[in-house]
Formats: sequence, C-alpha cells, structure tokens
Amino acid sequence: MSILKIQDVTKVYEGKVTHRAINQLSFEVEKGEFLAVMGPSGSGKTTLLNMISTIDTPTSGEIIINDIKPHDLKKNDLAYFRRRQLGFVFQDFNLLQMLTVEENIVLPLTLDDQDLETMQARVKDVARQLGIENILEKRPNEISGGQAQKTAIGRAIIHTPSLLLADEPTGNLDSNSSKDVLGLLGRINKQENTTIVMVTHDPIAASYCDRVLFIKDGEYFNEIYKDNHRQTFFQAILNVLSLLGGHVGDFSTVRLP
Amino acid sequence: MTFRQFAFRNVIRNRRIYATFFISSVASVMVFFIYSMLMFHPRVEDEFLREIAFQGMFVAEVILVLFTLFFLFYSMRAFLEARSKEFGILLHLGMEKRQLNKLILFETMITGFAAIVVGIIFGYAFSKFFFMIVREILQIDSLPLYFSWKPFALTIVTFTSLYIIISFVSVMFIKDDNLVSLLRGYWHNEQIAKYSVWKGIAGLLLLAAAYGMAANINKEYLVVFVTLIPPFAMIGTYLFFTDSVPFILFQIRKHRKWYWHKYRIVSMAKISSVMRENSRMFFISCMVSTLAFLAIGILSSMSTFTHQYHQLNPLGLVYSSKLDNPYEKDHISGLIDELEDKGLSYHLYKFDVKRQTSSNTQKTVKILTQTDINRLALVFGYPVVSLKAGEAMFLPYSMDSIDELKRKKVTTVLQENSIPLSINKVYPKVLFSPTELGTNVIVVSDEDFRLIKEPMVGANAKQSTNHIFVFSVPEWTKTKDIGQNLDALMTEAYMTNHENDLPFYFENPGLDYSFIRSTFALLLFIGLLAAAVFFLASGSFIYFKLYAGLEEDKKQFDALRRMGITDKELRKIVNSQLIPQFFLPWGLAMLHSTFAFMALQVFWKGIADLSIIREIFLVLAAITCMQLCYFYLIRWRYLAHIRAI
Repeated sequence: MSILKIQDVTKVYEGKVTHRAINQLSFEVEKGEFLAVMGPSGSGKTTLLNMISTIDTPTSGEIIINDIKPHDLKKNDLAYFRRRQLGFVFQDFNLLQMLTVEENIVLPLTLDDQDLETMQARVKDVARQLGIENILEKRPNEISGGQAQKTAIGRAIIHTPSLLLADEPTGNLDSNSSKDVLGLLGRINKQENTTIVMVTHDPIAASYCDRVLFIKDGEYFNEIYKDNHRQTFFQAILNVLSLLGGHVGDFSTVRLP
Repeated sequence: MTFRQFAFRNVIRNRRIYATFFISSVASVMVFFIYSMLMFHPRVEDEFLREIAFQGMFVAEVILVLFTLFFLFYSMRAFLEARSKEFGILLHLGMEKRQLNKLILFETMITGFAAIVVGIIFGYAFSKFFFMIVREILQIDSLPLYFSWKPFALTIVTFTSLYIIISFVSVMFIKDDNLVSLLRGYWHNEQIAKYSVWKGIAGLLLLAAAYGMAANINKEYLVVFVTLIPPFAMIGTYLFFTDSVPFILFQIRKHRKWYWHKYRIVSMAKISSVMRENSRMFFISCMVSTLAFLAIGILSSMSTFTHQYHQLNPLGLVYSSKLDNPYEKDHISGLIDELEDKGLSYHLYKFDVKRQTSSNTQKTVKILTQTDINRLALVFGYPVVSLKAGEAMFLPYSMDSIDELKRKKVTTVLQENSIPLSINKVYPKVLFSPTELGTNVIVVSDEDFRLIKEPMVGANAKQSTNHIFVFSVPEWTKTKDIGQNLDALMTEAYMTNHENDLPFYFENPGLDYSFIRSTFALLLFIGLLAAAVFFLASGSFIYFKLYAGLEEDKKQFDALRRMGITDKELRKIVNSQLIPQFFLPWGLAMLHSTFAFMALQVFWKGIADLSIIREIFLVLAAITCMQLCYFYLIRWRYLAHIRAI
C-alpha cells in the first residue's frame, strides 16, 4: 500500500525569472519504506520536500498522503493534518532554544492538546528509544549536535506520524553522530514501521535507505534499491551520482566509516 | 570606489534597513527642535519664563537629550547586532577594526545629518501647530512663529555631538576578536534567566510596601512616606523585572498540567526569553512612563484646578490690616494706582473684622457683619443673608467645610462682651480662603456687631479689630503683577519668621495661581516631551529588537509551521511575545501612577480640596489607546515578516 503518491507534480516559481523547479515528477512511497531523495544542488529536492510537508503548493499535479489530498484542505485542517500525520527533521535541528529538550520533544503533543499523562508517558518512551533520557532537563545550547538531532527526531516521532520527512538530517553532524542518527532512523523505520522520506547529499546517508531516488533539474532521473550489502549499495549510489553529472563540489566530503 | 563612497552606498542601498533607524532619529530631532523653538521664543522668554526659572526649562531639555541619547544608543546597538554578519564578512576580507569604526562613523553621520536636516524641516513646519497647543495650555494671548538662528544651532550642535558619541561608543560593542560568531550572525543566546528567589520575593514585597504606603498616606507621616515610597518603588520595580518575573514564570512552568497545553508552552517560553533580554530596558521604560503619566495627569487637572481655585478664592486682592498699621493708606492707594495702570476694573470694599473668644470652644472666632457680607454677595450674585439679633452664621473656608458645618448647631457666648449667639446656619458659598481669614469665621447681625466693644482677652483694642480691603477684580488671573512690593515684604517677613510683627497681610490669588500654573506648565513640558520621545523610543526599540532577531524567529516559526501550527495559534504566540514588551512596563507604570495619584489625592486635598480622578482616568485611557495602536502597527509588520517564507 502506498502512503505517499506524487502524481505529475510541477512547480513553477513565477517572478522576474520564471523558474521551473519540479517538472512532471511522479513516484510513490510504500508504507514502512525508507526512501532517500538525491540530486545535485538546484535539482528541486528541497522544493519537493516543502511540497510534501504541505507548506508549499504544487503548480500542477497531485500529492496524496495517506489517501488525503492535503492541498485541498482548508488552512486550519491543513495545520491539523500536519501536526498529526507529519514529522519533520531539519538540517540545523531548529529546536526552540528557550525550551528544554523534554519540552521540545513533547511540543507536537501539546499543540494537539493531549492529556498530561499520555504526554509524559510518550516522552519517556521516546527518550528511552533515542537514548537521551539523561539530557531531558537540558537546553538545546547545552547539548551536542548529535544529541540535538536526536531531540529533533524525538520531536518528529512522538506523535507517531504516518510520514517522517528529513531534510539533510546529517548535514551538520560529524561522522560518528551521523552514524548514530542514521542508525536511529533505520531502527525507527524497522521497529515502528514509520515511513521516512529523506533528502540528502550524502551517499553514506543514502546507503542506509531501502531505496534511493535520483532527481535532476526537477525531473525523475533514476532509482536504485538496496541489496544485501551496504557497501555495494553505497558503490551503486556513487555510480549513479557520477552518471548524474553533477559537479564534484556538490557532494559533501565522502566520509567512510 | 573610495571608502566614503562605500559607506554612502551602504546607506543608500540598504535604505530599507536604515529606514526605521532614520525615522526614529528624525522624530527625536523634530521633538527636540520644536522644544528649542519654544525655549528661545521671544514671547515665552518675557512672559512666563521669568517665573518658571530658566534652569527648570534647561533641566527639562537635558532630560530630553538624555532620553534621546539612551534611545539612539540602544537602537544603534540593536541595529549593529542585526548587521553583525555583514561586519564579519568585512573583517574576514581583511578590514581593520579602525577602518570598520570609520565606516560606521561615516554611515552614522550620513544618516544622522539627513535625520537632522529632515527633522528640522519637519519641526519648523509643525512648530506653529505645537505653539497653538501650548498657547491653549498656558492661556497666552498669542505665540507667533518666529525665525532665529538659536534653535537651529542648538539642534544641529546637540545632535551632531550625539551621533558622534553614539557611533564611537557603539562600535566598542562589536567584538572583532570573535570572527566566527560575528559571521554566524546575531544569535539569541537564549539561556534561562538567572534569578534569585530572594531578590524576586524582595521585589514583590517592596512593591507591595510602596503601594500600601501610597494608599494609606496621611498628613502626619507625609514626610516619612514621601521619602520612602520613591526608592521602594524604584528598587522594587527593578527587582520585579530582573528577578520576580522570571521567578513567577519558573513557578508557572512547574505546573505542567497548565503549562503543557496547546501553544502555551511556546508562548511561555517566548515570554521568558523576552523578559530575560529586556529586563533593564523594561525597568527604565516603566519608570519613565510613570513620570510621564504623573506629569500629564497633574497637568490635565489644570482646567479643574483653575475653576476650583477661583471658587475657593473668589475675591481678588485681599489686604488685611491691623488698626495700628501706619502704611495702610499708602499701600491701598499704591494698589489702586497699579490696578489703574494695568487698566483692570475693580470694586473696592472695606470692612471690619472683630475677634472674640467663643465660650463654646474657648477659641478665637472672627466676626463679620451681615451688611458687609451682603455687599460682597451682591457682586458675585450669591444669596444674601438676613440675620436677627442673637443669630449667627458660619462662613465656610472650603467646599468640604460647607457640608461639615451644615450639620453643626452651636449656642455660644462671646465671652468678652457676653453676647449670646445661636449659630445654626452656614453660608452656602466660599468667600474667603483659610489663609485670608482663618477657619473659624461667623457672620452676625449688625446690632450684635455694634455691641462688641470690649477687645479680645490678651489683646488691645487695636489688635482685636482688623480692616479688610477687598479688591474684587473680574479678570483675576491678570493681577499677578499687582502689589509685588507688598509680596516682597511678606516673603521677607516669612523668611525671618517675623510674620506676626507685620501690621498687614496681603494675598494675591492671581499671583499664587500663576505660580502654581507655571510650575505645572513646566511639568507638562517635561512630561509631554519625555513621553513623546519615549513613546517613540520604546516602540522603535521593540521593533529593532524584533528586526535583529527576525532571521532566528523566522526559522523557529518555520519549524512550528511544519509542526502544524494554525494561523490563529501563530498570531497568539506572536501576541504573547509582543504584549509583555508593550504592556508590561506600561501596565506596571499605570499601577505605579494610580497609587501615586492616590497618594497625591491626599496631598492635593491638603492644598486645595481638588479631586482629579476623572481627568487622570481620561489621560490614562488616551495613552493606552495610543499604545494599543502602536502595538497593532508593529504586530502587523512583524506578522508580515514572519509569514513570508
């Protein structure tokens, strides 16, 4: 069963220079799948992610999440849809500095006005799952990048969303933290059966996924599926990337574990 | 491109960033210029400045400059913080700190000069309008527009030096030794406000104590209370913003059931960070607002004051003389000459006041005749009196005393002459003020008055009877220059404590009134201008702060939007971020001034039985409305910025 359907989506930015960011793109994501979207700079990855997270609307075509067409919803219903169905992880964490780690994590539930017992139980669960129980009382500026991203992931999964979106989640992390965070995402994907769509530059990050979708200049380019061995999958990703013909500078430094 | 061109282009091409700084600078210059125009006004100088000491006006202006300095300095800092990324790039490219200072100096001077020029042009254009308002307040006949180099020179010199000082001081706050943090841009370093529980509680207690004292002030402990309240309120306010508010917020955050509820969690966090960043600013803003409220409130009661003052002092000039006063003739003819010189019409009444001891109270009572009172009553259109022998009537000395004496019925004997009297009425209007005749005055029938022959015990015949000369002048507010020589003699006697040896007493309500009014007028200037500048300053400052943190806020709101926050909730969060900034210092200042007025009410009553509640309420309401408009304006701009992705 597909949880996310992208059908002939086109996004055109009007302005002094009309720019076609996404062109006739179609793909589907199955429930429980861990998908990476890769592509060179300016290929429309972030535009695509913004449209899926419903804060941007496609010029034409349809996006269907969980059999709902969010772009047809009214403004308020759309906000409720986002707070219940979607989770979002950012490259620079975007934790609210004035809240503690615990409060950051619980935020989506409080927005949805759940009762206190449920919230406290969920925070405890999630914190244990992420291994950040000992920093719950700290502030975002008192913890490391890896812990911050784990907190952000906690915030994104506490309300058990049907779709978890991640925009370069390892972009600001060192290699160890990256490995941690990616392992965590993989585990959440396997254990909770959470569907994840991740946009990334990093072939290593992509190699943790079930499937990698490549886009170029806003159009579908290629896709490859995971095989048994991560090393070979990683090599396959590198091969496609070199085919993609992006510039070397587009890729973040390859960090072998 | 020369260095100067670079600075110039920086300003011109960044005009949107510079606009807010520029506009508030223009407004400060404008207010200052209008004020200087008034200060150097030829008519102002010779009409009322003579009484309000020139120093007073000068002090007002210094206060204004200090506020402006404070405000410009703060906005400049916020402005530079917002641009720290740009400075980071310049330093990264190898610019020396010295060059950066020069660049900022150039830029500030370009904006500053433009602001001075525009401000003066606007100020000159609006000064006529302002003069019209001042003319109304001070009741001066005319206040024409004039041209003189003095206000221009003063404004230009003051503001040029202000801008130089500010640009030199504010560059010291750019930390060029930490390039990375500069490049990263201005970052809200949002830590929990460090506060001490004791200080927090102390702040609340001090405020409570100050309010309690202000509410229960009385004349006996006036001096103690008046010396204690201001420092209590000031320290209390400071601690309230730095410690009490974080303390209270922390207590609230403990209650998760309430705190973990919808957007409240974000709102509360926003409020705490706003409080942490701005506590000192809030303190100053609160104190200045309180002062401004007080000044404006007192002034707004002026119209009531004029009316009531006249009711309490309906007679014009009053000259009271003992029978052995050798100067009586000279003084009276001198006053008549002066009145005629000024072309003021008057009626002169002369009557006698006798003093006796009342058997009822064993105190001195002053006695007038029915005929004398009726003569005065006819002039003012007051009711006339008709008394039989043995009857008497109280003469009230204030509005309150009328009600008080109404209930009083006394049978007494004038001891020295054994004249029995029954006093069971009160004259329904105030004719004499307590300083003129004292508080124990009665009217008797002409027959009884003639029977008073023996002088009061302990006094000879000459001291027991006074002549009172009353000049009833319809244009009583214009008599302030009459009898200045007598006034000088009185003042001298008071200074040397010989007032009882003086054979006469002279009172000029016109002069007293003009003294009181001029003092208030000075307060009005300080109050209005300080309020105007501060209004602008606090509003713009909030805007600067928001502007400086805009990038960070945008990111946060983007995260919140992705988390599914509705538009309504977003607006509520922004409200909770803005409302404390606008209304917390304001609200506390309101509370401060309410209690101050309560205290003042007691003090005021002691002077002249005035009640000023209604006027004050109106003024506070008007100010709140203005603040509300400002709030909506800034919220509208801020929301527009936040919503744009």
